[in-house]
Amino acid sequence: MTRWLLRAGLLALLILLGVWGYHFFFPTPQDAIRRQLTALAKTASIAPNESRFARAANAMKLIGFFSPDVQIKVDIPGSSPRTFDGLDDVRTAALAAGNTLSSLSVEFLDVNVEVAPDKQSAIAQLTAKAVIPGQTTPEIQELKIALKKNGRDWLVTRAETMRTLR
Amino acid sequence: METGTSEPPPPSLAKRVLVGRNPRNTLVRAVVWVVVLVIIAKFVLVPIRVQGISMLPTFPSKGIKFINCCAYLFHPPQRGDIVAIETTGRHVMLCKRIIGLPGETIAFHEGRVLINGEPLSEPYVKFPCNWEQPSELIGPDEYYVVGDNRSMDFFQHDQGRADRHKIVGKVVP
Repeated sequence: MTRWLLRAGLLALLILLGVWGYHFFFPTPQDAIRRQLTALAKTASIAPNESRFARAANAMKLIGFFSPDVQIKVDIPGSSPRTFDGLDDVRTAALAAGNTLSSLSVEFLDVNVEVAPDKQSAIAQLTAKAVIPGQTTPEIQELKIALKKNGRDWLVTRAETMRTLR
Repeated sequence: METGTSEPPPPSLAKRVLVGRNPRNTLVRAVVWVVVLVIIAKFVLVPIRVQGISMLPTFPSKGIKFINCCAYLFHPPQRGDIVAIETTGRHVMLCKRIIGLPGETIAFHEGRVLINGEPLSEPYVKFPCNWEQPSELIGPDEYYVVGDNRSMDFFQHDQGRADRHKIVGKVVP
């Protein structure tokens, strides 16, 4: 009886490992996009003790997540709407943030992904949480991000802020 | 010749308190309790960490509150209720007070809320403001929500119409 239980447990463990491995090496488009967005948030974050060189390198790395024709629309209450067009704008904004902020922690929460039937484009809706030093509460912003498939990666083609309350 | 069997020594008080007289029953009870508590904390009375000054002075800027997710099973949300509104999920939620109901018009004049043109009594607002906003119609499945702390600029305060399906439940004060 004990031996059978042990065998069943081992088999269950093997099946779980197999399922995990399959998802790790052959992720669904939704999982791949979530992974990509997590990496994007990590790259956009700035560690407190990060050197200027590392910050500049991260800004360069950041633009690798976007398509050349990317458009980012930022419309938040209390400030005038802004649009960033193309990789140059994104790079400039990332470098400016790196020079201005002592640190920044970005996290994407509750990422909902909808993949188009052709599996070449997708829309992700998520809640971005940014912890900025000196602010008592984190900045929270809903985002809608359009992505397109480029080889094995997904690139951001458009991003815009969304309002939870209208 | 002695025929009686020797009784095992009684379990210690600590053991009786921790695992009870029958460890198997205790384990089953513990598992049932854990499952019940997880279900309650996930679907009935959800704990949240409040952060921010939007609901001052009703709620302090930091603290733990609970959302009663069953509050609106049998009746719709009411004016004056403090509710939790989900964003794209439930990791981050907004905690606001309902001041406008579906089908009503809402406006701000000299900091006072006007519902269908009539001023709304708001004893919970302790920080006055001078917000001015034209009349706005609240949709059939929408609620107008705002924080109790009106001391900041209108556009720096998250307020507006929330869809009914985004209201997770009533925040228990």
